[in-house]
Amino acid sequence: MAKQQIKAKKKLAHKRTLGSIISFERRKTIEGWGFALPWLIGFVMFTLIPLVLSIRISFFITQLTDLYGFEGHSQWVGFQNYKDIIQDPSVGEAVFNSFANALYQVPIIVFFALFVAVLLKQKFPGRVYFRVIFFIPVILAGVIMSYLFNDGVGSVNVFGSIVSNSSGWMGNILGGRLTQYIGNIMWSSSVEILIFLAALQSVPDILYEVVELDGASAWESFWHVTLPYISPFVILNFVYALVDSFVKYDNPIMSMMKQMTDTGTKYGMASALSWMYMLMSLLTILIFILLTRRWLR
Amino acid sequence: MTNAIRRTVDFVQRYIDRYRNLGYKAKKKIRFIIGRIFLYYVLIELAYLFLLPFIYILTTSMMSYQDYLDPTVEWIPTAFEWKNFKDAWIGLNYPRAFLNSLVTSLGSALLQAVSCAIIGYALGRFRFKGKTLLFVLVILVLLIPPQTTILSTYGVWATFSMTNTYFPILVPALFGLGLRGALFALIYMYFFQRVPDAMDDAARIDGAGPFRVFIQIMLPLVKSAISIVFIFSFVWHWNDNYEAPTYMYNQEMLTLQPKLEKIQQYYSEALGYSGEASDFEKAMTEPMLFAGCLLTLLPVLIVYIAGQNKLASGIERLGVIE
Repeated sequence: MAKQQIKAKKKLAHKRTLGSIISFERRKTIEGWGFALPWLIGFVMFTLIPLVLSIRISFFITQLTDLYGFEGHSQWVGFQNYKDIIQDPSVGEAVFNSFANALYQVPIIVFFALFVAVLLKQKFPGRVYFRVIFFIPVILAGVIMSYLFNDGVGSVNVFGSIVSNSSGWMGNILGGRLTQYIGNIMWSSSVEILIFLAALQSVPDILYEVVELDGASAWESFWHVTLPYISPFVILNFVYALVDSFVKYDNPIMSMMKQMTDTGTKYGMASALSWMYMLMSLLTILIFILLTRRWLR
Repeated sequence: MTNAIRRTVDFVQRYIDRYRNLGYKAKKKIRFIIGRIFLYYVLIELAYLFLLPFIYILTTSMMSYQDYLDPTVEWIPTAFEWKNFKDAWIGLNYPRAFLNSLVTSLGSALLQAVSCAIIGYALGRFRFKGKTLLFVLVILVLLIPPQTTILSTYGVWATFSMTNTYFPILVPALFGLGLRGALFALIYMYFFQRVPDAMDDAARIDGAGPFRVFIQIMLPLVKSAISIVFIFSFVWHWNDNYEAPTYMYNQEMLTLQPKLEKIQQYYSEALGYSGEASDFEKAMTEPMLFAGCLLTLLPVLIVYIAGQNKLASGIERLGVIE
């Protein structure tokens, strides 16, 4: 009897230790990876394997029917594709253009988005409608946009006419030589506006009350409260705008790759170019992040 | 003349003096009113710039081509030209292309709204070994240009002879990748991070398992994120003119965007012209083209207007700490 009781107690104790072998931390880890698992499978299938395969393609001169060189129609050429690209002057020009575009467009996009977000963050009647209007660029994209940008006849540029039609000083400022860029820039800033709005709404109201009591003007409170608080988001927006400008449909490199694959024989070259381009853009973003790490908190 | 100037200066001076002599509250109120006027002025001006392309598409699509070429007709067409829409309907092969666009957009939007929530939940709610690595991978997916992988992905689908089906678009979305999947994962992560810990701790203590906590407790708490992701995913897939036509290139399987891109070509072929269309021919088909744009735009406009309440409240709650 007594022996049985002791046995039962031992069993219980044993159970308890088994339960505590999987600690809370351990369980969290298992659950975390469990929730990440579907995505990881997708990552391997649709990003990692294609990336590796595209390295392989970049060493071949190949055709669509035999993209991986399994059937022997493709020809192994080593680094020839890469050499061709480096020596091609038009590629260099396209790279230069795409980086130059990013250089002037990205800051304007970010500052425009910040300006609009600060205005939209204000609590005023009708702000819901304005917020909806500022996301119109998300809807009006793709082919329709390119039609609007160069409206068929050529002489009528819709954005030119928009700017000249718009009344008052805004029309004057946006007029002139800037017209062709401004439309483009305003049109790609909606996600940035969204991010800034989120950031601005996360600034605690109490900070503003404090500096207002200390007698700060709206301008000062923007510089000394808002901007330091949202500085990580400014960096984030710069990175997002950079990425966006690197993968946009009207990027010169992008259209070049499309041309190469359209002719149907230069898949190897297109893969090589896309790899070099990817590394270049990753490097740019990495350098940017390293340079601005100070403000990332 | 000098008298007039002096009078105006005096007038302005008087008002400045009056403002100076006001109390703190009155000053604040005046500043507030001036700020409001400025705010509305700038916002209305900008909203006008953003709305004008819509108005342009709307009016041009209703014009006959005589109206379009007539410089005296600027915005309002002399008569409503129904023919434009008929032509565009046929040129786009609208019912079929609409179906293709709808299946890809709605399907991926629904799938991404769920699958990106799962990875966002893992990133935003758990602290575990290797999470930084996972986060870096998600960022990497965001940064890799689709062009780098699309060739070989296309090859894979082609070897399974699955091109010209909906699978190449829908399957990546099922796993939380696909068009801008990484961005959606980050949006979810951001929302999940803001949910107080007490919420799932309470459910845990009551004995709910991890899936139950996720589905019954956490997902209802991030409704606004779901609506943001759904709307953005739907609209971006609808406007996508890169991935969908790469995988689905048969005439029957083309979505609306590539159809719209080729609509002028279709017309010059139907009219018997060959080669590049001249400027005049292009101008003749221009109103029809914009009717096509309107037809393409209409469904996503409906989704946007129907969802704008949800979207606006989602944006309202963004970043607000509860």
